[in-house]
Amino acid sequence: MIDYNVFRQFGAAIAHLGEMAQQTEIPDEQRVRQAKVVMLSKIDRQMAVDLESCVKCGYCSEACHFFVQTNEPKYVPTRKLDLLRRVYGREVSPLRFVRRLFEAEITADELRQWQELVYDSCTECGRCSMACPMGINIARGVNVMREALAAAGLAPDELAAVAQEQEQRGTVFGVGPKELQEVIAKLRESGLDVPLDKPKADVLFLTTVIDILLFQDALLATVKIMNRLGLNWTFRTGGFEAANFGLLSGMEDLQRQASRKIIDEAIAIGAKTVIVPECGHAYPALRWEGAAMAGKPLPFEVLAISEFLGREIKAGRLKVKSAGVRKLTYHDACKLGRHGGVLEEPREALRALGVDFRETDPNAEMNWCCGGGAGVFLINRAAGLRQKAFELKQQQIDATGAESVVMSCGSCRLNFMNGQANTGWPVKIESLVELVGENLED
Amino acid sequence: MDLLALARGPLLSLSLAIFFAGIAWRLYGIYRFGAKPSLATPRSTTMFSAAARTVFARMLPRRGFHPSATLVMINPYVFHLGLAIVAFGYLPHIDFVKRLTGAWWPALPDWLVVLAAGATIVSLAMALLFRLTDPVLKLISRADDHITWIVTMLPLLTGMAVILESSSAVHAREAVVYPVPLAIHLLSVELLLVWFPFGKLMHAILFIPGRAQLGMFNERRGVRS
Repeated sequence: MIDYNVFRQFGAAIAHLGEMAQQTEIPDEQRVRQAKVVMLSKIDRQMAVDLESCVKCGYCSEACHFFVQTNEPKYVPTRKLDLLRRVYGREVSPLRFVRRLFEAEITADELRQWQELVYDSCTECGRCSMACPMGINIARGVNVMREALAAAGLAPDELAAVAQEQEQRGTVFGVGPKELQEVIAKLRESGLDVPLDKPKADVLFLTTVIDILLFQDALLATVKIMNRLGLNWTFRTGGFEAANFGLLSGMEDLQRQASRKIIDEAIAIGAKTVIVPECGHAYPALRWEGAAMAGKPLPFEVLAISEFLGREIKAGRLKVKSAGVRKLTYHDACKLGRHGGVLEEPREALRALGVDFRETDPNAEMNWCCGGGAGVFLINRAAGLRQKAFELKQQQIDATGAESVVMSCGSCRLNFMNGQANTGWPVKIESLVELVGENLED
Repeated sequence: MDLLALARGPLLSLSLAIFFAGIAWRLYGIYRFGAKPSLATPRSTTMFSAAARTVFARMLPRRGFHPSATLVMINPYVFHLGLAIVAFGYLPHIDFVKRLTGAWWPALPDWLVVLAAGATIVSLAMALLFRLTDPVLKLISRADDHITWIVTMLPLLTGMAVILESSSAVHAREAVVYPVPLAIHLLSVELLLVWFPFGKLMHAILFIPGRAQLGMFNERRGVRS
């Protein structure tokens, strides 16, 4: 059961998160210089094609939940790359000699203005790229803009505060090895065998601050499932946090540091598999970007828990019983689905549970984002915008007639719970790993 | 040298030189950047088919994505197809290419070409109307969008001005009956050729690598694009 007092405390902590950010005074010229250095360092062939290709058709606006729900032209996704286009155009593009004559230098005021565009009103969900007739990877460009703003000292205070904590103290929301040990001790009290810090194991299981503080049932279900499968697995205090606030805030050094911590730990114990818990962005951070952070291919496979569950159920290694005739739908977290490619496996798991499974329309790689991803959930001033985006998600779920929506991302789950608290939405919000854990065959 | 001779001679050579050299320069400017290989183990390695599939699939509207105004979505099909029919299907244009390169292909009937030209002119006018009135398009439009519209529309308008007889009659005759209007038409085409490498007309080439790279990016991750 979710402790709603903890949920409320979590909300209250987020409300004051920004106050904890360490501020650094940076002159405007330096902000621009630092932002430009990052932008230019990220230009490769793919990015150059993307920045040269836009035909200004505006189709991407129709794919963006923030635009669709507000009708505000400023949120059109392609415009979010305009500063990057200008820096590229003036400095390194093939037509730079001409473009310098007609295009102005970017300014610190524009960087400040872009904060809202690339943080508050973009979850880097990537839906715009699915609609773009030129195939522009807008989410990647937005991520570069986040890195540029972070280098200019212009990341939102809330994200900066969490990133600084993860970088300097190695904790996220105050959760470190001690808190992991405490929650594991609590799980062991229920009679479960919870391996921690085994020197060698085939599977390294990660967790997140949200599961440790709030979704402890997800942790419990994970332990039950892993033990049922009889795998040689462990949590490790030296590398357990899957959330990567370097990626979310645009601080690449921290992203590398957070990824390396997990990678080093997995290598040290000889893990063949690392399983990422229900945390959307943590999956692509390790599965798709981890090798780049390490500078070499990873010597182990990385699986999302939903991917792992679907695979084990399909292979017949994990047996589940019917979860009852319940009308149920699935929310594809953008970072798992559109960014991660984990689309079929969670559905395998749900179908095995014998429920009345209903797809949303659209679904899978075209699914609407919940509005809270890529750290937007933590940005206080984005609350109104986030709620509007969530209402689109809510309508999409309601149209299925489902009584319950299942997901495999803790951030999405928090955003759904927050939206529900605001509107009194009656649909039940469930975690896939908990649902499977509750319905293991006897 | 009269205007037509100038347009058919040195100005045509100059515009073609700028067209080809400009495209080559712009592509070199893009491809000189290195491509970072992905170090992550891919879900799929069928990159070529993913790239080809995405290049073609993005020509069609995607399921699950509906632009609010259907007309806005249909209109680009009209002017893209119309331009292709007019540019490559009209007999005098094929004769022109044949004189330059020796290559030729069967022409489309005049009625179809004239219909396509008319539809394209109306469609381009509507595209401009959308660009000038839609708040999103107004915000994201740049000078390039308007210059490109002008240089695309001009050959259509100047071309319509010289369609005074059947294409077979023009084909059968060596002499040019309307030298000045034809020269103006040719000059407008040369203007388009000169602008092509510098503005968004380059999308006629860049749509291939753009779509292909996204297709491969998604394929690696096991995502349909």
